[in-house]
Amino acid sequence: MLPYTCTLCGCLCDDLEIRADAGVVVEARGACELARPKLVGLSVEPAVAPPCRVNGREVVADEAVEAAAAILAGANAPVVLRLERATNEAARRAVALADRIGAAIEAGDAATAWPRVVAMQRYGAVGATLGEVKARADVVVFWGCDPATTHPRHFERYSLPDRDGRRAIVLDATETDTARRADVFLQVAPERELDLLLTLRALAREAPLDPHRVETATGHGLATLQELVETLQGARYGAWFTGSAAGRGAGSLVEARRQAVTALVRDLARNTRLVTIGLGEAGNPHGAEGVMAWQTGFAPGVDLGAGFPESWPGESSAAARLARGAFDAALVIGGPTSGAVPGGNPWIFIGDPGDEAFALATVALPAGTPGVDDAGTFTRVDGVSLPVRALRAATMPGATEWLERLRAAVGEEAP
Amino acid sequence: MSTLLIRGGHVVDPANDVDGVADVWIRDGQVVAAPADPDARADRVIDARGYVVMPGGVDVHSHVAGSKVNAARIMRPEERRGEDDVLRRARGFRSGTLGSVPSSFATGYHYAGLGYTTAVDAAIPPLAARGAHAEFADVPLVDKAMLVLMGNNHLILEAVRARDRAAVERTVAWLLESTRGFGVKAVNPGGVEQWKEGGSRLSGWDDRVDGFDVSPREIVTALAEAADALALPHPVHFHGLNLGVAGNWEQTLEGMRTLQGRRVHMAHVQFHSYGGSPDAPEDFGAMVGPLADFVNAHDGITVDVGQVMFGETTSMTADGPTGHYLAALTGRKWYNHDVEQEDGCGVSPIEYRDRNFVHAIQWAVGLEWFLRVDDPWRVALSTDHPNGASFRSYPDVIALLMDRNLRDETLGRLPEKARERTGLKDLTREYTLRDVAIVTRAGPARILGLDRKGHLAPGADGDVTIYAPDDDRRRMFALPRWVVKAGEVVVDDGTLAAAPVGRTLFAEVGVDADAGAALSARLGEKASFHPANFALGLDDVANPLGVRTGARP
Repeated sequence: MLPYTCTLCGCLCDDLEIRADAGVVVEARGACELARPKLVGLSVEPAVAPPCRVNGREVVADEAVEAAAAILAGANAPVVLRLERATNEAARRAVALADRIGAAIEAGDAATAWPRVVAMQRYGAVGATLGEVKARADVVVFWGCDPATTHPRHFERYSLPDRDGRRAIVLDATETDTARRADVFLQVAPERELDLLLTLRALAREAPLDPHRVETATGHGLATLQELVETLQGARYGAWFTGSAAGRGAGSLVEARRQAVTALVRDLARNTRLVTIGLGEAGNPHGAEGVMAWQTGFAPGVDLGAGFPESWPGESSAAARLARGAFDAALVIGGPTSGAVPGGNPWIFIGDPGDEAFALATVALPAGTPGVDDAGTFTRVDGVSLPVRALRAATMPGATEWLERLRAAVGEEAP
Repeated sequence: MSTLLIRGGHVVDPANDVDGVADVWIRDGQVVAAPADPDARADRVIDARGYVVMPGGVDVHSHVAGSKVNAARIMRPEERRGEDDVLRRARGFRSGTLGSVPSSFATGYHYAGLGYTTAVDAAIPPLAARGAHAEFADVPLVDKAMLVLMGNNHLILEAVRARDRAAVERTVAWLLESTRGFGVKAVNPGGVEQWKEGGSRLSGWDDRVDGFDVSPREIVTALAEAADALALPHPVHFHGLNLGVAGNWEQTLEGMRTLQGRRVHMAHVQFHSYGGSPDAPEDFGAMVGPLADFVNAHDGITVDVGQVMFGETTSMTADGPTGHYLAALTGRKWYNHDVEQEDGCGVSPIEYRDRNFVHAIQWAVGLEWFLRVDDPWRVALSTDHPNGASFRSYPDVIALLMDRNLRDETLGRLPEKARERTGLKDLTREYTLRDVAIVTRAGPARILGLDRKGHLAPGADGDVTIYAPDDDRRRMFALPRWVVKAGEVVVDDGTLAAAPVGRTLFAEVGVDADAGAALSARLGEKASFHPANFALGLDDVANPLGVRTGARP
């Protein structure tokens, strides 16, 4: 039997064995303590598919598709959002539809995805697939993140398998579960993260530093930080992991921290192999970003409203457009969503009929959930694409099929 | 049943020794013999009288998909924000962006717009095949194929260390089958693995890869022999040692000697043909002569050039240490991505400037290769897109090959010291239309072992390009009047008219089930994923078309 891929955190563990009895999952072998309770008890019997809805009224699929297509085709400033749980196959169709209707489309969490991409556009990125870390790393850093809590199998699968002599270093605001497992723990106040990163970078570049000022700015002595830099530079293969916000500090400084991390790792990688990798977001935002990039040239958001792809940080975010009310129709793909799309504009929801959006959307199209009753491909944070398999037979179309039907119903532009 | 008649054009079909006025009949996507009935009518007739008719172009070495290509897109928004760098949405066509690494649909549109109907991506790590195939599905118009990186593959290196030829063959076959790949690529064999482990640079053919105790010579020889034993359509596709390094011509020649007697394709050979030494960069110069002489004297070796053209582009390579070196040299942004058990990639922007001594020599070295290899069947046109330049500059390359004056004009504005370090000024050869047809389609098709590509005899794929003759060769090859893909007119009267998805070509190798299971289990021991999720099915490939191979292990 083929293994099951869990999509509940960014680890995307693809080695679970699901056992069902009497129509429900009774065991998820290999699952972590976060995933197991969410998997065990799931029904493996085909779900009852509710009808589509238009303005709260139950309608047949053709009518719902037609209503949705009319909204999208008539919109002047549509947005397409929340691709983070869509398969790569669905993301391909979503970008195609966005291109046709001239929408702004975005994948993942705008507040953290844009800063990551902007840092890459400035400095590049030095990374690896997680198997390289698993096989080669002798020094592993966790910066402002706690995979022991958020990504329970990260150590076992990727970063610290069997430990086998590798050194684990944690820099974080508090002594987390991850910190307790580390060889070295440096406490870093969230408001001092940026100063610390910049100090490490200065040390990596051998800039002369005033010890007193370093201690005031970072809370750590110069010798401690020097030793840390030397450990990293002395690594045969080092890996620097961080969460999506590149630390614990203010949301307004995500971009500054992300750039500091990226630049630091690049500087450190001059003379040794050192890579930085995110812990990974739940679902498939990394895959949707990749699809958007190959089809349009841009990630994590692109505005197709002018008839060609444009992407400007701070300008082209569909989520920001939504928040500002600068849209006249929205297409929300997948859940979970929190509440309705604001502003009284018509919106379409394609996703789990159990999601609250299903009852609130102008047009609701019930779609299977990847990993439950839909299958496809997800892409891990390190770019590795993996099959996601369903637990039960499909009784509803997946988002891929809905998007294809919508694209067909929207038709071609008048010549 | 739909038929197309291309009537009365000047057909240049070197594979069939045709160079004169002829009709081409296409039925259901394939070239067919003219009907016996002289009154037979076609569903559509293109009046090609006065035009030049060639098979569709075939690119033997390009980078059009995969994580390195996509990373380059994301990293370089500055290339895709100008009016000339966007493609507007049109009825039935997708919008896109250009720059040195166009978005996927734009890549297909522009290849077809130049009359190319087949493009091979030359560097896909096995683990990246699933993603690259998904991307291929969004590159329309051209038939695609991928060369799979194996020169630093741990399972291959283990088999080479064991001196077990059968194991190398089994592993090659299994990797190709699992990835739905077309051919075997070796990039800096052993050298990338050594770099990842923090070891010293491998620069010699007998240097040892520390972790595996094998040498570049042993690895690439084993891969070449395996490709021959499996009778793969395409020989081992080899990216040599010391790419871009002064004095590397000696290792390139040594590589040719090593592989002599076997089939080998030397990729972007321009980047491997430099004199001087790493310690004396001022001695940098062209050393094409002895290498081209060797090719001229020995069958079995083919090359593509990797021509450099002046301007801004993006370097991308599976040769991680070279990417690292280059980014350190330019100080520009650097994307590096190591892929477990096989290579990875390095990506960095680069501008080739005609006032730069080294760049000027690189430009001339590429042209020397085209002009010094006597038999055009042995040299394929490439820019190693986007490394030397975008594929969109192919018409400029063709114009230089056909016109000595054009070359001399450019030579004249290069640094004098650079001019002296190449023999280009003494090369008077000018390519004929037949030569161009060979290096852009007939030759690459033959090098790839694609017997239905690159020619127009009955049975060939109905891929045809029709050019308006023009003294301005650049314009002639930049703007074909009609392009036919699998019998469908996709460029009609100079305008893109349709964008069918194209086929994905893969090598049909067979692998013994037990051997495959053993290799899969071995892969899983160190992988970060379940080995059952490695191999691709035909459902994972866009419009797959198997190409038959020979013996099976």
